[in-house]
Amino acid sequence: MKAARFDYHRPADLTAALTGLGAAGGKPLSGGQSLGPMLNLRLARPAALVDVGRLAELRRVEERADGVLYGAAITHAEIEDGAVPDPTGGILPAIASGIAYRAVRNRGTMGGSLAHADPAADWPTTLAALGAIIHLTALTGPRESRVPDLIRGAFDTTLEEGEIISGIFVPRLSPDARWGYRKSCRKVGEFAEAMAAVLIDPPRNIARLVIGATETRHLVLEGRDIEDSAVLDAALAGIGIAADPARARLFRAVVADALSAAQTSHVSA
Amino acid sequence: MSLVNLTVNGRAISANIEPRQHLGDFLRENLLLTATHLGCEHGVCGACTVLIDGAPARSCIAFPAALEGARITTLEGLADDPVAAELREAFTVEHGLQCGFCTPGMLMMARDIVLRRPGAGEEAIRHELAGNLCRCTGYVGIVRAVESVAARHAGAAPVVTRGTEVAPSAFVSPLTLPVAGTLVSKQAQDAVTPKAAPAASADISFETLHNPVRMTQHFEVPAPLGEVWNVFQQPEKVVACLPGARLTAPTDGRSFEAEMGVKLGPMAATFRGAGTIMADEATLSGIIRGQGVDGRSASRVRAELTYRLAPLQDGSATAVAVEIAYELKGPLAQMSRGTIARDLAGRLTEIFAANLAAALTGVPAASKPAALDGGALFLAMLKGFFLRLFRRG
Repeated sequence: MKAARFDYHRPADLTAALTGLGAAGGKPLSGGQSLGPMLNLRLARPAALVDVGRLAELRRVEERADGVLYGAAITHAEIEDGAVPDPTGGILPAIASGIAYRAVRNRGTMGGSLAHADPAADWPTTLAALGAIIHLTALTGPRESRVPDLIRGAFDTTLEEGEIISGIFVPRLSPDARWGYRKSCRKVGEFAEAMAAVLIDPPRNIARLVIGATETRHLVLEGRDIEDSAVLDAALAGIGIAADPARARLFRAVVADALSAAQTSHVSA
Repeated sequence: MSLVNLTVNGRAISANIEPRQHLGDFLRENLLLTATHLGCEHGVCGACTVLIDGAPARSCIAFPAALEGARITTLEGLADDPVAAELREAFTVEHGLQCGFCTPGMLMMARDIVLRRPGAGEEAIRHELAGNLCRCTGYVGIVRAVESVAARHAGAAPVVTRGTEVAPSAFVSPLTLPVAGTLVSKQAQDAVTPKAAPAASADISFETLHNPVRMTQHFEVPAPLGEVWNVFQQPEKVVACLPGARLTAPTDGRSFEAEMGVKLGPMAATFRGAGTIMADEATLSGIIRGQGVDGRSASRVRAELTYRLAPLQDGSATAVAVEIAYELKGPLAQMSRGTIARDLAGRLTEIFAANLAAALTGVPAASKPAALDGGALFLAMLKGFFLRLFRRG
């Protein structure tokens, strides 16, 4: 359980980090709460780690009228504790408080979680439902992406070599937006076996259901489809979940719970 | 080696540290601070919890090289801490430990819970402690101990421990000894050689798969049954349809030795192993079995492919039914939770097709590792292989 040899670089700024990542075998390190175990199990053996977790550019937070832009290296605990502004009326702190364990949340980062792209992680499903815009940056320039375009499968993203997530923009919700979130875990803090997030925000014309923990990309249903059980069943069948009746039932139950939570729970934005 | 400056239990430490050395090992091996226990060493059990800049963190997945300037507090550093003193007393009163292995991590987390959530009840404490495992199953006593201390702090202002200073203890620790920070780098001798593949033999015994992942697929190929049957009898052709896979020894047609590189996000493994081919021409079916080990992570895979052929129409096409069953064990299964990125199968089929096209034109194709594990990929590729093979033929 000891990591294989790697070089460690802590660049002074973002440009130096991007240059360093261009060097052969460099992997970005943020909070290291997923990469650390993989290093110790020797499932990941990067030649070098480029520490982006303390870059000033990735640690800033910018509140705007229409939402908040979080630096990618803001930790789950900082969001949980309300140390950063929240445009979602309490959704982000509530989600953050349910990620793994406090000792992990103290170090794990939102950007790192997205880049790791575990289908059962909390941020990808939540941020997809909230319509977050992911800011990516590379030496060739910045670009923006939505979560469903960024994460194309389990542990698989459209991030290019040498490109990192620099920030996450979370749009401000309307005062009467409604939200439902459910996940099913065997044990508190474990990765979920099924999860669903529902955002209904009529003034912004949003009704969205995102299903995570699918073992592949997230399922996103919009508009009337979110309450249509035939559409849901077809979507689950499309990613192979219908093949196992017990799993399909679990997913249907989690979706139903999230939908019913979204009927009643107003966010306090 | 990186020169790192840390404050450990209030003392300034400068040491040359290998980047790969984790904080738990550094504390125990270099600083002789052995209160920090190492359990799972991959961030699951919580035994190694220490405070980094005042907040609990797992020392087994934190690397000192990345902690320049950080303030570390171990259980030794809490010797004079008032909350830790209350907790030690409560753990004694409530019988909050049996073997004691998890106790340092439990105390670290318990102190954080009491400060951050004063007055927390049993449910909240169990929730907060869920990341610390006790294998003596002594949770009742542990939770009662934490609850009694938390109750005494009810009404106190919650303290966000992140970024707080922890007063150093007067306890005289082994830190007064010179720091053993001069481990010699063994760069040259350490070149990693993957373990040798297990010797393959025709009489490998295959156990029944336990609770495998199963999937089936049916497809048609526009070729007569005999041609399709022949392909299934040739290990080199079956193996050739897997990106990242190759035979590692000549095959006698009944057994084979092969390796396959798989890649799942940042994880990479190369399975080396052996398999057998059994066919029953009377029922137009057969079983291909294989098992392999990834020498780096010690992950193991065992798989069975059962195929059944049937002639279609006037005999110019063949229906193929394939069932894949596989089980993955070891670290890779743990990290990927046995998941299969099903939607990647399509894109890997394209890689496969490219490899095949290259092979047909006589240009050796770069054998890229497959970007996922599992049977869905294999099925998709097998299907693609047959469709393309016979379309071209």
